[in-house]
Amino acid sequence: MTQTQENVVVPAAAKILPVNLSHLSRVGARPAFLDYLVQLWDFRSFIIYDARARVKSGTRRDKLGSAWLLLNPIFNGVTYFVIFGLLLGTGNGIPNFIGYLTIGIFMFQMTSGAITGGARSIQQNRALVQGFTFPRAALPLGVNIREAMVNVPMILAMLLLVLVIPPTEPITWRWLLIIPVLLLQFLFNLGVGMALARVISRVNDVSHLLPFALRALMYLSAIFFSYERFIQHPVLLSIMQANPMFIIIDITRDCLLYGVTPALQSWVVLTAWSLSALIIGSVYFWKGEESYVRG
Amino acid sequence: MSVADLLTNLVPTPCIVADNVAMRYRVPSTEVPEDTRYPHMKFLRMLNPLPNTVTVHALNELSLVVNRGESVGVIGRNGSGKSTLMKLVSGQIRPTSGAIHASSTPIMLGVNAALVPELSGDQNVVLGCLAMGLTHAEIAERFDEIVEVSGLEKSIHLPMKSYSSGMGSRLRFAIAACANPEILLVDEALNTGDAQFAARSKRRMDELRSEAGCVLLVSHSLETIKDMTSRTVWLDKGDLIMDGPSKEVTKAYMKFTKELSKGNNITAANFRAEVQSSQANVSIVDISRQNTRSAG
Repeated sequence: MTQTQENVVVPAAAKILPVNLSHLSRVGARPAFLDYLVQLWDFRSFIIYDARARVKSGTRRDKLGSAWLLLNPIFNGVTYFVIFGLLLGTGNGIPNFIGYLTIGIFMFQMTSGAITGGARSIQQNRALVQGFTFPRAALPLGVNIREAMVNVPMILAMLLLVLVIPPTEPITWRWLLIIPVLLLQFLFNLGVGMALARVISRVNDVSHLLPFALRALMYLSAIFFSYERFIQHPVLLSIMQANPMFIIIDITRDCLLYGVTPALQSWVVLTAWSLSALIIGSVYFWKGEESYVRG
Repeated sequence: MSVADLLTNLVPTPCIVADNVAMRYRVPSTEVPEDTRYPHMKFLRMLNPLPNTVTVHALNELSLVVNRGESVGVIGRNGSGKSTLMKLVSGQIRPTSGAIHASSTPIMLGVNAALVPELSGDQNVVLGCLAMGLTHAEIAERFDEIVEVSGLEKSIHLPMKSYSSGMGSRLRFAIAACANPEILLVDEALNTGDAQFAARSKRRMDELRSEAGCVLLVSHSLETIKDMTSRTVWLDKGDLIMDGPSKEVTKAYMKFTKELSKGNNITAANFRAEVQSSQANVSIVDISRQNTRSAG
């Protein structure tokens, strides 16, 4: 590199060294997609342990501990109720506005938490990525499983609030339909989180844009107003009705509050969103597998 | 094909093959470029989000084959590319060109395999072991041994961010050492910690070395290199200078550093060039695929 003229190296001879590489594999090589999924399955203990350990340590710094997981959406709900329900009156004409608002906020918070966590999973665990060799998709998957674990008490609290705060709603068989909704929501969050994780591992600036994108998604999901406000704007209305977050919240409200069986069309659109997010997200993430180690 | 098959059986299967690997970094530099054309544009340059970057050649094209049962030492001055080579072999970084092939996942024993600071020591032990592919049963079996090697005792239940740097590196060493790797990489880590830990870690290292398929050892101590390895690679400023029996390589390296310390930089540079030119350039040929790639 810094050699002077007389030090230019002339190699004596090129030695040819035959080796048999058939039993060797390239260090850090990306396996085929199906092999990758199998590897991921083999690392399931790691993923689950990672998720569980972090659930416990997540709120250790706060005096109230895990209670914040519940207090957070409740405070959000109170704020939105005062501003939008009482001051701006966006809830006029919505039956059981408190229940409407509660479901919107809880369901949205689950998605925004999971997507944010998944998107930052690679960047925040650089130390683990550099220290050990494991399929990197374990990290966004672990974050999503952790969020799902945290969400179980949140969902129970949401159901309790719907049952307790008047006007109370009766429990019907339709309450069971929130299980497939939550499953589809999980797959959607996972897919979006994985795609964003790769983007952010390359271009960290995107992590600054993420809160704005989520905020826009929130306003488009009719959390504290009724979508019927946009009945005059066919374009806005159709954008809103194709929004997966809106569909998730809408189906949940139909099942829990209004005793209506959700339309088949909503299920089909939501399933299409979830599966395409999962497939595109995981393939896109897998394609970048070798790039995550580079600091 | 029958000749090729015969050849395949004759050639020993190596543990590590570095095929023409090179590593370059682009890093920002604080050096201000002399730009006198537009002195009034200084303010605009401050807004430029992309600072002046330079390319660092951490490792130039290098080919290396390590066979099963070999212990190979790596020596060189600071900044010669020793640690870069180890990181490449362990897969911590990806080479800018070329490829590293290995018969199994190499395990690096060093201080830089960081873990999750929010989790406690014992949780990090389990997480690290799971990340290396161990099962819960295997971890339960080795847990006590890991804690013993780390010497952390009761502190193992505290969050890792409360550890001193010595405690952290002891734990990392203990976790990495609990796997019985076929390929072991040791990056001169073991002078951290007190005398008690040094003795414990040395014992564990000796055990591992005797069981491992092959060992790569980076050290500044030529005595350690001569004791523990049969073959040594000398790197300098990213170039492979010499690859041969440890005795000869350490002797040449010692001569080189002696000239440098006397201030005879030109003599040293000439000697370096002489040694390097007497080395044959290695080309790796993969006979299992019958395609050839040659080193530059």
